[in-house]
Amino acid sequence: MSSSRHQQLPPQEQLSALETLRLACFANPLDGLISLALISAVLAAAWQLLRWALLQAQWGVIAANSTLLALGRYPEPQRWRLWLLLWLLSTVAGLSWGLLRRQSWPRNDLLATAVLTGLTLWAPAAVAQPLAVQAHWWGLTAWLLLLRSSAGAMAARVPPPVLQCWALLWPVVYVSGMGLIAGGLGLVRVPSPLWGGLLLTLIEACFAMLLCLPLGLALALGRSSGLPLLRMGAVAYIEFIRGAPLITLLFLGQNILGFLLPGGLSPDRIWRAAWVLTVFASAYVAEALRAGLAAIPRGQVEAARSLGLNTAQTLSHVVLPQAIKVALPALVGQFISLLQDTTLLSLIGLMELLGTARTVLANPEFLGRNAEVYVVLALLFWCCCAALGLGSRALEVRLNRQRSVAVR
Amino acid sequence: MTQALAADVVMLEARGVNTWYPNGHHALRNVDLTVHQGEVVVIMGPSGSGKSTFLRTFNGLEDFQTGSIIIDGINIGDDLRQRDAIRREVGMVFQQFNLFPHLTVLDNLTLAPVLVRGRAKTQVERQALELLERVGIHEQAHKYPGQLSGGQQQRVAIARSLCMEPRLMLFDEPTSALDPEMVQEVLQVMQELAAGGMTMVVVTHEVRFARQVADRVVLMADGEVLEIAAPEQFFSNPQHPRSQQFLSQIN
Repeated sequence: MSSSRHQQLPPQEQLSALETLRLACFANPLDGLISLALISAVLAAAWQLLRWALLQAQWGVIAANSTLLALGRYPEPQRWRLWLLLWLLSTVAGLSWGLLRRQSWPRNDLLATAVLTGLTLWAPAAVAQPLAVQAHWWGLTAWLLLLRSSAGAMAARVPPPVLQCWALLWPVVYVSGMGLIAGGLGLVRVPSPLWGGLLLTLIEACFAMLLCLPLGLALALGRSSGLPLLRMGAVAYIEFIRGAPLITLLFLGQNILGFLLPGGLSPDRIWRAAWVLTVFASAYVAEALRAGLAAIPRGQVEAARSLGLNTAQTLSHVVLPQAIKVALPALVGQFISLLQDTTLLSLIGLMELLGTARTVLANPEFLGRNAEVYVVLALLFWCCCAALGLGSRALEVRLNRQRSVAVR
Repeated sequence: MTQALAADVVMLEARGVNTWYPNGHHALRNVDLTVHQGEVVVIMGPSGSGKSTFLRTFNGLEDFQTGSIIIDGINIGDDLRQRDAIRREVGMVFQQFNLFPHLTVLDNLTLAPVLVRGRAKTQVERQALELLERVGIHEQAHKYPGQLSGGQQQRVAIARSLCMEPRLMLFDEPTSALDPEMVQEVLQVMQELAAGGMTMVVVTHEVRFARQVADRVVLMADGEVLEIAAPEQFFSNPQHPRSQQFLSQIN
């Protein structure tokens, strides 16, 4: 079936770009008035913003604190480990991207490539990093894009089991990344109070994202289970967590986890917060997954059972692959708000991105530079969320191939 | 067709089966049925008569409270392992096809033999392609179910059940969800299957199929088996008044 949906006009009546614009925005006087009002409002705002960014803002505060905002007080001699982690990340990310998209380069991918390349060329130079560091970033991006295109070219020859298990690679990357960051096993230990900035934000968010999936799945299954105690337990957990604001849970977590666990076992503040985030997100993930599970027709389970599959096989081979596909948009929305919720950690005294920014602003040298710092913060968060959104969109497209033609 | 009866091996024996739904409705009332190996039994009856419920008790999709069902020597009891053992030997084809939409046609066929019987994937794939050829859709092996017509999907569903090499096949209104022009291609496959000696229990409204293929026709109404007869006798000279009423309604 061709995508004739986009051609509203017969091909011989193709309009020029100008004509299309006129029809879209100025077809009649009222449309024209609304369009004019909107355009002038946007232009005025953009003009003000641009004037501020170019003439009034003093971006020195960003350049002077870029390392602090990125890493916190991570010791200089150990930073090579973070570079190593970045190479690992760009390797896995590039391969994943390629395997997901294969040889196609849709508009989203071209846009992402352009933005990524632009940022790599501009940002390190803009915050006055030495040329060696700038070159390092160029290398990382080039490596990522190289792997993206070569993995895309080879994806058709990768055996399906590898593709099915690919997602399991990310927890492995996280654990080895934490090994690199924290040290141990022969590496010098870097204690957690020295981790900060964007690094800490990502450590916390990724921890919660990886763990809330299995936890949320267990809760969703518990909630639809036949065992009354299990079902009531899951319902109580989900309703309690969803009824409490995250910030109160975070304060509670700092106090309660210390009482609940025996002395030596109580994790330090950073991991306590990460667990609270996980516990919080898993309740919402459970609800998203429950909606996915509910969307699978009863006949799917009956067909699987009557072919002799047992409960576990039915779940893992028939129900979950379909349920996760349905729940994916809601799950990604959850991940995006989880990432933004990490800013609340600054209120319990953690030096993640927002906490670090506030210490920068408390420095008398940078007094009054709030706007500059918060604009950069917003842009950093936007980049992370945009990457999440693009990734999930690509995953959705791949998973939805089989639904291209809907015939019952 | 009746010579299959000569073998006289009992494939399915249901005795005094009673089912109550959780809402208290008495869905099956003391039903008995014996099916011999190689036999094709067609169950007919008005909707709500319990014929689908009866069929679904044969592979444990529906519970029953009293009575006994023995399939190929295995008693369906509360033991889950026995239930799984029976499901391995009994194939089922549904009204809504129930193909797995996230798997290709070929993977729909190979999933259970590989997972449940532990057979080698390449070997199962060879068998699956042969089966798809038998039902006339081997060109579509790498498509997804959503890309096929209803008739094609139902033929895939039949092939999927056959890939487990079942001893007994159950059909739950296999043509009721199909567009009229696709009914025949599915019935054709079922007819060939019956000619090959498969033991089949079929719930259907297709009178022509029952006349031509069935060894016996069962009429159910209000959860009871009212009449069991050879098709020629059932359609020309029904004994029970409900049978006469039912036949006059569908003709």
